[in-house]
Amino acid sequence: MRMGAGSARVRGASAAASRDGDALPLGVRTVVVLGLASVAGLLAFGWPLILSPGSGLEHSTDAPLVLAGLLVAVLGVVFVSLSDGGIDVKAVAVLGLLSAVGAVLRPLSAGTAGVELIFVVIVLGGRVFGPGFGFALGSTTVFASALLTGGVGPWMPFQMLAASWVGLGAGLLPRRPRGRREVVLLVGYGAVAALAFGVAMNLSFWPFQLGTGTSLSFVPGAALDTNLHRFVLYSTATSLGWDLGRAVTTGLGLALVGGPILVALRRTSARAAFGDSARRAPR
Amino acid sequence: MHPLAWWVWALGLAVAVTRTTNPAVIALILASVVLVVLARREDAPSARAFRGFLVLGGCIVAIRVLFYAVVGIKTPGVVLVDIPQVALPSWAVGVELFGPITLTGLLVALYGGLRLATLVVCFGAANALANPKRALRSLPASLHQIGTAIVIAVSVTPQLATAAAGIRRAQRLRGHEPRGVRGLLSTAVPVLTDALSRSLALASSMDSRGYARPLTGRTDRRVSTLVVLALVAASMGTYGLLDGTSPRWLGVPVLVIGAAAAATASILAGRQVRRTRYRPDRWGSPELVVAGCGVVAAVLLVAATATDPASLDPSLSPLGWPQVPPVALLCAVVAAIPATRVFRRSAARGAA
Amino acid sequence: MILFDHVTVTYPDAVRAALTDVTFRVPEGELCLVIGPTGAGKSTLLKAACGLVPHFTGGLLEGRVVVEGRDTRDHPPRDLADVVGVVVQDPASGFVTDTVEEELAYTMEQLGLAPSVMRTRVEEVLDLLGLATLRGRPLADLSGGEQQRVAIGSVLTSHPRILVMDEPTSALDPAAAEDVLAALTRLVHDLGMTVLLAEHRLERVVQYADRVISIASDGTTVDGAPAAVLADSVVAPPIVELARLAAWHPVPLSVRDARRRAAPLRERLVGSTANRRPSVAGDHVVRESAVTVLAESAVTVLAAPAVTVLAARDLHVRYGRTHAVRGVDLTLSSGQVVALMGRNGSGKSSLLWALQGSGPRTAGQVLIAGPPGAGPKADPASMRPRDARLRVALVPQNPQDLLYLDTVAAECVATDAQIGAAPGATRTLLDGLTTGVPDHAHPRDLSEGQRLALVLAIQLAARPCVLLLDEPTRGLDYAAKRHLAAALSRHAAAGAAVLLSSHDVEFVAESAGRVLVMADGELVADGGVRDILVASPTFAPQVAKILHPVELLTVDDVRRALAATR
Repeated sequence: MRMGAGSARVRGASAAASRDGDALPLGVRTVVVLGLASVAGLLAFGWPLILSPGSGLEHSTDAPLVLAGLLVAVLGVVFVSLSDGGIDVKAVAVLGLLSAVGAVLRPLSAGTAGVELIFVVIVLGGRVFGPGFGFALGSTTVFASALLTGGVGPWMPFQMLAASWVGLGAGLLPRRPRGRREVVLLVGYGAVAALAFGVAMNLSFWPFQLGTGTSLSFVPGAALDTNLHRFVLYSTATSLGWDLGRAVTTGLGLALVGGPILVALRRTSARAAFGDSARRAPR
Repeated sequence: MHPLAWWVWALGLAVAVTRTTNPAVIALILASVVLVVLARREDAPSARAFRGFLVLGGCIVAIRVLFYAVVGIKTPGVVLVDIPQVALPSWAVGVELFGPITLTGLLVALYGGLRLATLVVCFGAANALANPKRALRSLPASLHQIGTAIVIAVSVTPQLATAAAGIRRAQRLRGHEPRGVRGLLSTAVPVLTDALSRSLALASSMDSRGYARPLTGRTDRRVSTLVVLALVAASMGTYGLLDGTSPRWLGVPVLVIGAAAAATASILAGRQVRRTRYRPDRWGSPELVVAGCGVVAAVLLVAATATDPASLDPSLSPLGWPQVPPVALLCAVVAAIPATRVFRRSAARGAA
Repeated sequence: MILFDHVTVTYPDAVRAALTDVTFRVPEGELCLVIGPTGAGKSTLLKAACGLVPHFTGGLLEGRVVVEGRDTRDHPPRDLADVVGVVVQDPASGFVTDTVEEELAYTMEQLGLAPSVMRTRVEEVLDLLGLATLRGRPLADLSGGEQQRVAIGSVLTSHPRILVMDEPTSALDPAAAEDVLAALTRLVHDLGMTVLLAEHRLERVVQYADRVISIASDGTTVDGAPAAVLADSVVAPPIVELARLAAWHPVPLSVRDARRRAAPLRERLVGSTANRRPSVAGDHVVRESAVTVLAESAVTVLAAPAVTVLAARDLHVRYGRTHAVRGVDLTLSSGQVVALMGRNGSGKSSLLWALQGSGPRTAGQVLIAGPPGAGPKADPASMRPRDARLRVALVPQNPQDLLYLDTVAAECVATDAQIGAAPGATRTLLDGLTTGVPDHAHPRDLSEGQRLALVLAIQLAARPCVLLLDEPTRGLDYAAKRHLAAALSRHAAAGAAVLLSSHDVEFVAESAGRVLVMADGELVADGGVRDILVASPTFAPQVAKILHPVELLTVDDVRRALAATR
């Protein structure tokens, strides 16, 4: 960037250490796109509650395939929109490396029941680098770890979108708290988000898991509270332990390493100086 | 072999499997899948995960049967095991625990679980056969940056794992020997710091090698309009598809329009990225054969159930041995064709 | 062609400028060497030449940098990718793909070249750098030298005119370094490329340079012909120091040129009694302190008689199929500084880790003495790490792997707590090793020498009897190496034994009294430093090669010998 036509000085990207530059800035267009994608995602996750008899997806095994395909398309389109205009190369590199860290942690934690450490990375990354980056980090972490372990299945697009929401939410938390209050805020958010992740995944795969022949199954077309009631019973009976374990581990992990990792991430953010490139990119 | 060919094949079989609960048909298709995987898989870590998928399939069947036994709705029939029903308090409305287990009910649960398990195994086959890194190279140009981030993640993860082991070893040199959860976390901070400094070095290297040199162009507006249109169509189409009371045009047709808009947006956005591919995977006759087998298998069973819904009936009422109609046999044979190396390419091209 | 016109670079949040009023011109087809003490600004100069400063790193650039007719003011790094190729010190951190072939093609993919052009250029570069046999190999499996050549190849495929390299040979063993330098000289002489190269270890490179730019610690530069610039430079290889001592003008840059001038000097030294000092293997003679910086030239002798502190018998280390260490017997006495040399893959690291106790040991016995009054010798592998570190300490190849806290002060405090020492003990040690390390600095922001000093202070805080170092001289400049040699000598004089593995012959000549040579997992030679280093041409330091058959290893030895003849 030039500072005056005749001047022989060039000032590069300035590191505004007091303000965390967003690695993936969100303009008006991308906010709209994210909102619409979230609506489509909510429909896809809550499909057992919306499904009514006479719909084309009544075959309960069809739905996850169709909806998974839909979510893949939705995520693809959202990322086309996020990448439109270019992403800073430093943001791409940090995104890749943080996804790698998450991918390394996932198999380590999957051995113990209900323990998932990737949300620690996603929440902290979203907090420091902004909501757009957090959204991208959720998807890339889940995708990369699925590729590495060979676990790409119909559940993966659901996991990608849910993890992206976790990262997006972490970036939208109030900016002001710092120090211990910030860690407490993140611990609370992380625990709630991990629990919500489990509930959402359960909801989308509830009919998949049980079929229609049990008294805990969903009933197409029934009233909302009937289905919800059954879903709550089903969740409590099956995966509550898992989900609570995930929430507790995420909260614990954030409490233990949140402080030092936030410092390390902020150091990188300052050195990378994303703020200036945001001003230069067309949004 | 182009990785997408395997994915098309696997998805075709998955669609075929979801058409019926006839266990004989499903078992045949499952056998074809396992046969192809054993014959054609490469020796890569993702290929070894296939066993995990088989185990997962088994768990799915077991869980279905368990749930039937515990909370299933028991219809009258031939009783296998007579367990007395347990009444639940009033807040658990409508839930009855246990009850007599009938043969019919058990079979229903089994057949449903088997169908789901085979669906999962089809995905496992795609994982085992399609090399994930080659698949990443086939991402469209519009997703170039996100694709690069994933490529970096996949390439760097093994190095991070080695670095983590090195760091644990080094910390023992200091007499610092943390165990358990604390140990895991105290290794995590140096690994993360390492990863972050690497990321900036990597970014500088990529930048000076010309990464993402943009072309000037003003297709911003068209891309974002098409994206918004595609998402609106996705939401409306999904709702229309799920809700049986909405008109027919609100379901699949709207989704198709949305898909077309998304594809156009992707193509337009891809024009802005100037990049070529070194030795891209070619789509030739072997790929056509493999993909075609999957598509044909799906079409066969879809047509069979559409024209005559009872032809693939698992014959549960009255209870009888499941029949295998010739259409299903043909479908399984077609699915197994990729196990043979049709139109083999020359060895110089590299392993398929 | 590279032109710097009154360039001043100031980083954001920096107190003073990194480079001050730098002006020079590198014509086409020259190998230009950039030298200077650590922290002077070599990396900044290289980054300014490829546009990374200021577009990538931030900061203020005053003046003009013109590269092949393109001003970096208007061209960010990615627009210079087809004229400038950049290779960093750690090639593995710059790899984007998985295999050699894909890495070579990456730059061309980003530049949008046609696939047929890409195919031909990949083949060309494979042949040019001798990488044809490594074509499909995963990058993680390659050795350091091969990775460095792949990194060079990956920037060559876009046919740049200028190559900018930051310390390419610092992490390589001598054989790999020779390969890389040969490739570079071929590029300069056959293809007419311009190469801008920053290096610490100048012994090998200086004879190939056409131009030298020397950066002083205040950021100003002097550039000119190598002989002229090096004659006055602070940073100088042994050959130049010898030339200054013997008053040779102009300064010779290669061993051959120096030998032609050295005949009178050799005659003076032949009769000197100083070069007939005994150096028997296992002797208790302590190497003289070679620290002219501390203005000490006295011979340090041990206060107490020497004892055996480490006794290893029949050590075997196996990793799966590889038999890394075969039947090594080794004893170390207090007061010794011993160097372990050998090519890459000969088992040096495995031996050091097995001696420390953390590394795998398939067979054999290691006994290490404890501090006085601690009891008999014990096997460190059988003790807990916390206790083992009181007897034997190892500084690994990547010293920063030991560091995990945020600030230097936190690391020192944690170490004091871990070993139960008085608070401030580690910090005092650190101040004795190096100056200018602020308490609040993040360990990753320190220079290589300062980081090594911090890790050394942490490991020495427990006063172990045996100190092991694995390749400590990576990335250190001459001054830092002198400090390190002094520190090791002090530790040995206090009654400990030091065993270090190194490729750096000059450093070994300066610091060690006894040398072990390992090949294929076995110890093939064990003797005094003079006997081993002079006996083979590969292991001889520059001074020895120049003054052959006079057996003197360092410039300080020559100085002392000359003083003795007067």
